[in-house]
Amino acid sequence: MTSPLPVVELRDVSKSFGNVRAVKNVSFTLPRGSVLTILGPSGCGKTTLLRMIAGFDAPTSGEIFIQGQPVSSVPPYQRSIGMVFQKLALFPHMTAAENIAYPLKMRRYDPATIPGRVERYLQIVQLSGMGTRRIHELSGGQQQRVAIARALSFSPDLLLLDEPLSALDKKLREEMQLEFRRIQQELAVTTINVTHDQREALVMSDEIIVMSDGAVQQAADPVRLYREPSSRFVASFIGLTSLLTGRATKIQAMDVAIQVGNMVLKGRTADETIQNGAWVECALRAEQVRIFPAGKGFAEFDNALEGVVDQQIFEGDRMVYQVRCPALGDAPIFVFDHDPAHHQFHQKDDSVRIGWNAQDLLVYACSDA
Amino acid sequence: MSSSDTPSFQYPLSWRILDRAESVAGLWPGRWSSLTGYLFLVPALLLVFVLVIGLVYIFDYSLHELDLSTYRLKDAFSLVNYQAALKSVTYRIVVLRSLGASAIVTLITMVLAFPYAYVMVRTRSSFTRKFLLISLFLPFFIGQVVRAYGWLIILGKEGLLNTFITSLGLPPVKLIYNYPAVILGLVQYMLPFAVLLLAPAVTSISEDIELASEGLGANWVQTFRHVVLPLARPGLIGAGVVVFTLTLTDFAMPEILGGGTTDFIANSIYDGFFQISNPGLGAALSMILVTLGSVIVTVVFFLAGTGTLVSTEGTP
Ligand SMILES: Nc1ncnc2c1ncn2[C@@H]1O[C@H](COP(=O)(O)OP(=O)(O)O)[C@@H](O)[C@H]1O
Ligand SMILES: [Mg+2]
Repeated sequence: MTSPLPVVELRDVSKSFGNVRAVKNVSFTLPRGSVLTILGPSGCGKTTLLRMIAGFDAPTSGEIFIQGQPVSSVPPYQRSIGMVFQKLALFPHMTAAENIAYPLKMRRYDPATIPGRVERYLQIVQLSGMGTRRIHELSGGQQQRVAIARALSFSPDLLLLDEPLSALDKKLREEMQLEFRRIQQELAVTTINVTHDQREALVMSDEIIVMSDGAVQQAADPVRLYREPSSRFVASFIGLTSLLTGRATKIQAMDVAIQVGNMVLKGRTADETIQNGAWVECALRAEQVRIFPAGKGFAEFDNALEGVVDQQIFEGDRMVYQVRCPALGDAPIFVFDHDPAHHQFHQKDDSVRIGWNAQDLLVYACSDA
Repeated sequence: MSSSDTPSFQYPLSWRILDRAESVAGLWPGRWSSLTGYLFLVPALLLVFVLVIGLVYIFDYSLHELDLSTYRLKDAFSLVNYQAALKSVTYRIVVLRSLGASAIVTLITMVLAFPYAYVMVRTRSSFTRKFLLISLFLPFFIGQVVRAYGWLIILGKEGLLNTFITSLGLPPVKLIYNYPAVILGLVQYMLPFAVLLLAPAVTSISEDIELASEGLGANWVQTFRHVVLPLARPGLIGAGVVVFTLTLTDFAMPEILGGGTTDFIANSIYDGFFQISNPGLGAALSMILVTLGSVIVTVVFFLAGTGTLVSTEGTP
């Protein structure tokens, strides 16, 4: 029987350390089997939030429910939560298999069933035959696998991942992201994943919560979060984004005209409170901007500008340009040019034209106005 | 540039001194540079060497019988001193008493020192940590003999405790010049050493590992038993060996708090050399003490593995 209750529910959870408010009024619910990623810069309170869910710290206010039960007074060892720590925290004095058997032993599983279970989880994380290795005899990626097998072997209600991949090199990290996703789907385990890596968040999650400074900025599925960021902060945190500040001059439903420098740009907003003449902030994704040699016409774009290449970075599959537009008061615009070998490279100090459509210029009310 | 110019920037004095020192060190021939590291070992090696010379002389003493007519050691080699030492019931009791005290003191000290070190390392309150640190180092400034006399003042026949007891109308209690008093004094003396040796062992266990254990279903007793103790084992063994050998060879506590009733081996050695003026016998007892200590330490390290002394495992 699957219960209709959410596996985890946070209601207005806050945590203060002295004067530092590390987590501010966080609420969310997590249905069974889904993956939630908490995304935010270092120091925004992600670990603190996970520690409260795991039971290592108590919230200063608010309540956490697991399977519908409030858990403030339940110690960690009586919660059914598997956690993979930032630094893994494997037991160095035990073998891989002993690490995986540890929660089974502590939770008084029938000793006769333990070897079979350990073997099964070694298989799931593709470490069959390595059970007798000591932790320091395993590579970084293999240690990750032991940590996840240890966190899952007792079939917890909830799996918590505290940036366990952050220490790995890029290639291994991306490999392990897919691996985590596979295991998570195979076992259908409800998961909260914490990261400051936007790519990891997009790859691994059903739902993403963006946090900054202890507070939730936006909660949405990856596609919506990327396409409809609710604030300038979220827009700038995910993807490569150019930021412009200007004044709204004409508003018609969601269409806004914005005066930036001595240009009037066309943009879109979801915020109905923006008034004519108000200061606004605009965000523009690098992949939405096209770049052409100077003088080439392109009437099809809502916004078109002359500029000069400030910097160009070759990334193999794409070129990243930083373009300075005097008309915008020198604010840099980032541009991705995919498959640049196919047409033309621009060099530093080349004159170029850039253009993008109104729907891609996201307009927000000024946060500190 | 004229000489009246004052340079706007001057190297700090410590840099200039070190630069001078380096230029002097530069005179050291380059092709010997691979030996430079070993050079720093020389003073320590010299000290150990001197110790070995002393030991060789004592070993030599122990092989010569005392000539009672001249009160000098005879020239001829003999094992008389060892026979005397090993046959004597008194000395056998002294050896057993020293060994027993070492075992008891080690056990009690470790039991007391581990929580102390643990709290000192783990506490979130900087006040608690400072308080524990100061309490730890204070005894080092006082020294063993003064501390032993401190105990006399408290536990003596007319000491603070007995004054209190008699003021209640009870008869005075004999609290010193017995085995428990010596043990008490030794435990108090050893505690700071043990804490100092255990603190790094606790520090090396990351807090996350303990939390991980709890999250996996272990309460704190199980976490202590299955995670903290095994990971602290090298520190525990190291501290245990230090406390054991320091107790085994201790002189002041049994002398002052035992008052001649509870001699340890060191007291007998002292008596051998200076009371009955028999350096041969004193030397034989010394050799027995050195052998005992070395054998025990070797066995412990052999059983515990060399990893105890120098960590050979990388911690992930
Ligand atoms: N035990 C603590 N005592 C005091 N401040 C803390 C403690 N733990 C975390 N903080 C503070 O809370 C904030 C959030 O920390 P953390 O949750 O570790 O962030 P993140 O995991 O997102 O990097 C930081 O400002 C940090 O300094
Ligand atoms: Mg963190």
